[in-house]
Amino acid sequence: MSTSGPDRDPILDTARAALEAPPTGLAVTRPGGAKRESLWRHFFERPSTWIYLGILAVIAFVSFVGPFFAGDPVALGNPKLLEPSLEYPLGTDQLGRDYLPRILQGGQVSLLVGFTVAILCMTLGIIIGGLAGFFGGFADTALVKVAEFFQVLPGLVLALVTAALFGANVVIIIIILSVTMWPAVARIVRAEAMRIGQLGYVESARASGFTSLRILWSDVLPNAMPPVIVATTMTVGRAILIESSLSYIGIGDSNRPSWGALLNDAQGYLANGWWLALFPGLCIFVVVLAINMLGDSLNDALNPSIGKVK
Amino acid sequence: MKAALLHYGRLLLSSLLLFIAVLTVLFLLLEIAPGDPIDALIGDYPVSEEYRAQITAAYGLDKSVWERYILYLANVFQGNLGQSFGSSQTVVELIGSRIWNTLALALPAFLISTFGGLLLGAIAARTRSRFLDGGLSGLSVALFSLPNFWLGILLIMLFAVTLGWLPTQGKAPYGQEGIYIQYLILPVVTMATSELAYKARIMRSSMIESLGQDFVDTARSKGLSRRTVLWRHAMPNALLPMITVSGYSLGFSLAGSVIVEKVFGWPGMGLLLLDAIMRKNNQLVLGVVIVITLTVIVVNILTDIAYGIADPRLRARFSGKGGAA
Repeated sequence: MSTSGPDRDPILDTARAALEAPPTGLAVTRPGGAKRESLWRHFFERPSTWIYLGILAVIAFVSFVGPFFAGDPVALGNPKLLEPSLEYPLGTDQLGRDYLPRILQGGQVSLLVGFTVAILCMTLGIIIGGLAGFFGGFADTALVKVAEFFQVLPGLVLALVTAALFGANVVIIIIILSVTMWPAVARIVRAEAMRIGQLGYVESARASGFTSLRILWSDVLPNAMPPVIVATTMTVGRAILIESSLSYIGIGDSNRPSWGALLNDAQGYLANGWWLALFPGLCIFVVVLAINMLGDSLNDALNPSIGKVK
Repeated sequence: MKAALLHYGRLLLSSLLLFIAVLTVLFLLLEIAPGDPIDALIGDYPVSEEYRAQITAAYGLDKSVWERYILYLANVFQGNLGQSFGSSQTVVELIGSRIWNTLALALPAFLISTFGGLLLGAIAARTRSRFLDGGLSGLSVALFSLPNFWLGILLIMLFAVTLGWLPTQGKAPYGQEGIYIQYLILPVVTMATSELAYKARIMRSSMIESLGQDFVDTARSKGLSRRTVLWRHAMPNALLPMITVSGYSLGFSLAGSVIVEKVFGWPGMGLLLLDAIMRKNNQLVLGVVIVITLTVIVVNILTDIAYGIADPRLRARFSGKGGAA
């Protein structure tokens, strides 16, 4: 990363791309314009795609609509530490609060952070990565340096420092995660824009007299999208994981406990309240797993050459 | 040789600049953070203006931003990370008392995940059996999606609370010094698991790529056994991406140790950092972050050197035989 020599090494680049957007290798071959549509169809024809999308849709729906029916997440007065039963499907916590509405409310925070961060990262990544890759020069050097910077100062650590100095709420956490996570997307856009910029049809667009920005916008970026979409999907999962880690260690919005914060509370009751630790973790796991599987499946569909090596 | 010197010189220089950039960002964050550090030091107690000015001068806060910035950089490069707030120990002493505990977790986890990942990835790539390969891929996505603090909590619930085989918290029985092995098991397993899945996946894909190369066919056609071809010919080539991935992922695992230490009440640097955050001990927070950053940068340099040694193409380039540098 900090070197000029190995920077041009294809093997190393593959490893880096994989490191920054695990777990899929993102050395994606661009599908041709006409083929793109059929690749999407290929993606939507898979039954597994609909299973993952269905899981996410159901969890999002119950998190945002459920609280209107499930009762008050902060109401006290129920029996304390009650095991899951028909009356309390997910049991009650150490203060006698019904656990179901608390889990639903926790989902709102996790999903909100995950999707907002991913959209911000994608936007920033496309703009900065596209400019850097297509025009090269200063923008390119700057992007590589910034990506290096966040590699030595991981997002989790920067989030800890910022939270210590400025306090933590959902907005601050979204900002920190976006600031630290966009270079991963930008680097993929950069690599794609560099590659596509060398192709014949870009050359012919230049010869036809179109401005560079116009070529970038209408010829380069649309064709760079498949790996970007995969990387963005993975970003949702990673943002949810980092957010829940942060709220687990006590850095988060104390008024709106996310799944991580519920796990923090639960750790004091492992012996007599197993359900308190089981359900929030299971929710994080299922959501992130569905997102990552969706990303994998997107990668396979948009990039048929990988995963079917001889 | 000259090319190698130039390469490593450039590497050191850019690492140094990177370190200064991190220090600068931390300094700026501290500058724009809300709250007056003098008020924090004095507390609510009413004091005279004179005393206030004295404290301000003692901490150098009467100087300009630029002077303070230079002073701060100079201090860090002299290994002075300041005095821990509300304690008689310096930040360096506090970190020094904890860093070995963190390494006691991080190093075994690193070794297990690296060698386990190598082995699993190579086997999956070699056999390409539906069962093993599919299972490994599925498992690695699952482990990758698993919040590792929850994994830790589940392990505590199973092995400590339910079965009672292992302790839940800490590094030694109450009142005992040192690190006891039974206290080490769960945190190390927690830390190694997600890394292992990830490394196995990288190893698998780079091994598949390596097995598809011409030199593997050549080795096979010479009549070498499958085992020799796999371990002596394909493996060294497939190791190159693993060196990079293992090296560069260390930063993330150091950051991850904060979480694991919190789950298991392990008194390492991560727990020190969390305590410092809760007590608003900014000097200590910055100190720990600086040490983490420095470790990552040093490991990155070592990774780069290891890569240069392992990759014959780079060796050739450095010795001037392999074409353009």
